[in-house]
Amino acid sequence: MSALVAPGTQPAASGRPAGRPAASRRRRIRPSTIGWSALSVVLFALFAFPVYWMVNTSFQPNNEIRGTDIHFWPDNFTLRNYATVLFDPGRTPFAPAALNSLIVTLTTVAVALIFAFLAALAVTRFRFKSRRTFIIVILVVQMIPGEAMIVSIFRVIDGWQLLNTLIGLTIVYVATVLPFTIWTLRGFVNGVPAELEEAAMIDGCSRSGAFWRVTFPLLAPGLVATGVFGFIQAWNEFVIALVLNARPEMMTLPVWLRTFLVANGTTNWAAIMAGSTLMAIPVIVFFLIVQGRMTSGLVSGAVKG
Amino acid sequence: MTTTDSGPPPVVSSVDGERLAAPQPAPRRSPRRRRPTGGLTPYALLVPASIVLAAIVGWPLVQLLVTSMQEFGRAQVFGAPPEWVWFDNYVSVLTDPAFYAVLGRSLVFAAACVVITMLLGTLIALLLQRLPKGFRLLLSLGLLLAWAMPPLSATIVWGWMFDTDYGVVNSVLVNAFGLEQYTQHSWLIEPLSFFLVAGVIIVWGAVPFVAFALYAGLTQVPDEVLEAAQLDGAGGFSRFRLIVFPYLKPIFLITTILQIIWDLKVFTQIFALQDIGGIREQTNTLGVYIYQVSIAGGDFGTGGAIAVITAIILMSISLYYVRQTVKEEEL
Amino acid sequence: MRKLGIAALGAAAALTLAGCATTGSDVASDEGAEIRVWLVGTDTPDAARDYLVETFEEEHPGSTLVIEEQSWDGLVDRLTTSLSGSDSPDIVEVGNTQAAAFTSAGAFLDLTEHYDELGGDDLLPGFVEAGSYDGKFYAAPLYSGSRLVFYKKDALEAAGLSVPGDLDEYIANGEALAEANPGKSGIWWPGQDWYNALPYIWENGGEVAVPDGDQWDAQLSSDESVAGLEQVQQVMTNASLAPKDGNETNPQVGYCDGTTLQLSAPSWVKWSILAPADAETPGCPEEEANLGVYALPGKDGGAAQVFAGGSNIGISAKSKHPELALDAMKIILSEEFQTIYGENGLVPAKLSLADTLGTDEVAQAIAAAAGNAKLTPASPKWADVEAAGILQDLFVKIAQGGDVQALAEEADQKIEDILNG
Repeated sequence: MSALVAPGTQPAASGRPAGRPAASRRRRIRPSTIGWSALSVVLFALFAFPVYWMVNTSFQPNNEIRGTDIHFWPDNFTLRNYATVLFDPGRTPFAPAALNSLIVTLTTVAVALIFAFLAALAVTRFRFKSRRTFIIVILVVQMIPGEAMIVSIFRVIDGWQLLNTLIGLTIVYVATVLPFTIWTLRGFVNGVPAELEEAAMIDGCSRSGAFWRVTFPLLAPGLVATGVFGFIQAWNEFVIALVLNARPEMMTLPVWLRTFLVANGTTNWAAIMAGSTLMAIPVIVFFLIVQGRMTSGLVSGAVKG
Repeated sequence: MTTTDSGPPPVVSSVDGERLAAPQPAPRRSPRRRRPTGGLTPYALLVPASIVLAAIVGWPLVQLLVTSMQEFGRAQVFGAPPEWVWFDNYVSVLTDPAFYAVLGRSLVFAAACVVITMLLGTLIALLLQRLPKGFRLLLSLGLLLAWAMPPLSATIVWGWMFDTDYGVVNSVLVNAFGLEQYTQHSWLIEPLSFFLVAGVIIVWGAVPFVAFALYAGLTQVPDEVLEAAQLDGAGGFSRFRLIVFPYLKPIFLITTILQIIWDLKVFTQIFALQDIGGIREQTNTLGVYIYQVSIAGGDFGTGGAIAVITAIILMSISLYYVRQTVKEEEL
Repeated sequence: MRKLGIAALGAAAALTLAGCATTGSDVASDEGAEIRVWLVGTDTPDAARDYLVETFEEEHPGSTLVIEEQSWDGLVDRLTTSLSGSDSPDIVEVGNTQAAAFTSAGAFLDLTEHYDELGGDDLLPGFVEAGSYDGKFYAAPLYSGSRLVFYKKDALEAAGLSVPGDLDEYIANGEALAEANPGKSGIWWPGQDWYNALPYIWENGGEVAVPDGDQWDAQLSSDESVAGLEQVQQVMTNASLAPKDGNETNPQVGYCDGTTLQLSAPSWVKWSILAPADAETPGCPEEEANLGVYALPGKDGGAAQVFAGGSNIGISAKSKHPELALDAMKIILSEEFQTIYGENGLVPAKLSLADTLGTDEVAQAIAAAAGNAKLTPASPKWADVEAAGILQDLFVKIAQGGDVQALAEEADQKIEDILNG
């Protein structure tokens, strides 16, 4: 049910009690497995290399990364670039920007999930007049290029006196991720059969009781998967943040990272790589945490098999 | 809105839910037909989402439409009354050869990215299915790293790898392969080569999403079905086409649509790459072009018109999908 | 805020009111106020920043002044929104070529009546012009940079060359150096660096664009300009090994690793080159004795007309404390504050402070260059030409060896489209 699950742990959850043992027995004897495994190592290297290169560069002294020799390994290992991005008093500090990013991102995810969940419930569990219109609108809205609307959005937030606040930015991000989140959750809610609720109702639950006790737990993986999307979107966004939160103390991480790009015409590449690495860490950590969650959600919810 | 960041492939699983909704056979339909009306409840449930969307997407959208029919420059941002020009901006955009150059380039580039992403994603999903657990975990980790990388950082790193003077790519080509012509080779100066690099960055970031989505779908294809097909003597490809593909069709559909939307509106990667090198005029895509005309260039009227035209093009491309969805919703 | 066309009249009336409000009833109490100053990039030295904050807070006990550093990258976008919003910064720095976009839009407070208090005719005239619109003075000069040629004394000597006396000799020197030192740039010139190309156009009698009634006539394809552009191509293809599509950041790297023998760059590049070897962005201080500098020579000798990069500074029309902001502006244009610029190699905003630059070789070169500095076309839409990257694209193509005449005509068309559009 969820794509995000580490593929390695997946099959147990997919609910095919009969088919699976047979399948693995068959696979074990295939000689081509060695070939596939070799291929997977090559692919791993291709996908991971840029990330490795970023980390590698971030640990090298600046005069070495702009030298004639290429260092595939940080021979002269240094933490200086991290010291620069974290503590250099001449720079906008990392910690407040990271805190801003974290607050905005997590709030966005939480609020968007709640709102989207309610909306998804409405469109999947009820029949009402403008249902179809709503669904189409949600889809179409995603096709409008946002670059053209930034000034209007700025006006709206300004009108609410929320410029340079985390709340203002959060509201915009919630709106940014909502269409996709509703769309996604709609699929998940649809995937949980309404019969289950009905069965619970026959057992004496109220409609909402049936929902909270039966349907909701089954949706956990869906909520998590959708939350990851919102997290990535909000964490990485920079055009809106640049325009809405121009005060340095209200900066988010992507805006902070950009301040390193053109500083005095002398770009500090190693520091940028260190900054990029720091910025990517929370996303990766979040992914890893969430993965376990989704798996357990799956195991407990392997109902539909 | 979602566009400002077109790159980072969002989480898969919409897809998944979608899939569950679609190909399941008979028993699902009946309860859905009996979907209750619920009186005011559904409207109440929609209130929070609708308010946010109306304020931050709806109202700016109305403004966008209004602006696109006005002479709206920087002076108007600071309060000068705009002049109403109706469809003049649209006419000037649609008669400007530069726009068609950008449009054609964006369409071709997006098409190439979508096809390659989907193809690689599918192949990697099939590979994941065949791998022993350890290697599957390894490959997943690689995909995960690429996926989690913020597009801005990704573009900076890739740009650094392709750097003319100090890039690892040129260095390896020259020192390991002896290709002297890559000494100080500029990867971004030729538009085709620029888009090759941009395409690599975009595909690299988007493949994990597709691969995970399809892999999750593949695990749901009952083994019995596959085995039965094998006994019937079906080969690898026809097995995929006749049995696996129909199961995965809804996932293919939605991932393709999402890739089309993101790749056609792509902004971050192109914008950041243009800063590193290349010729802007020959490498502008729709998203960047809109940004340049409206925000950097201060011509919000024309920029608005281009944005509206882009949205209409995207809508017509995805018309089939929208129809399908609506039809399904009718059930 | 925005209304349909029919309502334009009413809107205009409302805006007039709003305009009054900014300087009238909307002004907040100046007690305990916070003045926000946007400085762009790291050009303004820390000593100057500290001086501004301390002096202001001393003169206005209870009030505070906060300097918020912005990046040049995307500055026009941010100013467009921020200055029009309710949380506008009070004082902003803006590039001199970008100033017209904002003065013409009404983003800045009219400072005409304070012109004399702020320095009057002592202010750099080209920058006063850049900060004025429609006969009114909106944005004062902040500082000017100027462009110099840095060279390796030993390389020039080894090739038997001396500091060039005119532009042709400069080009010939560059080519000779490149020929004598394979794999090195006689004149390092990345294709996107269009500022450096302007002197070639001007020295040959060409212009980028000239006003023609209320229209602009782009002149890059005139015979004079093309002659200059061909010289540019000559240098870029024969003397430079810099990336043809590269930008001008990090000029010190090539100089320090020995692959750049000469380069034309803003005066502060001296400090990038001489930065300690273990600095964040390392330089090569051991080159100090070998580092020579001169002003780019003109076609007929003397200093060439170079592009005067630099900044203007204005008060936001939406400032809630215009009086305090004006006081802060006075500090910024004071002798003490501006002297700090001079001591750090930037040309101060006042002509009378030119001697603060010192008397060494660099200072003389700066003074020579600044005396002959020239600006881009004074159109409110010039910033849009820059933002569209038309000139960067033009010179990247010239660096690639394209047909100069055809490229210039193409660029002229685009420039006119924007300036007259």
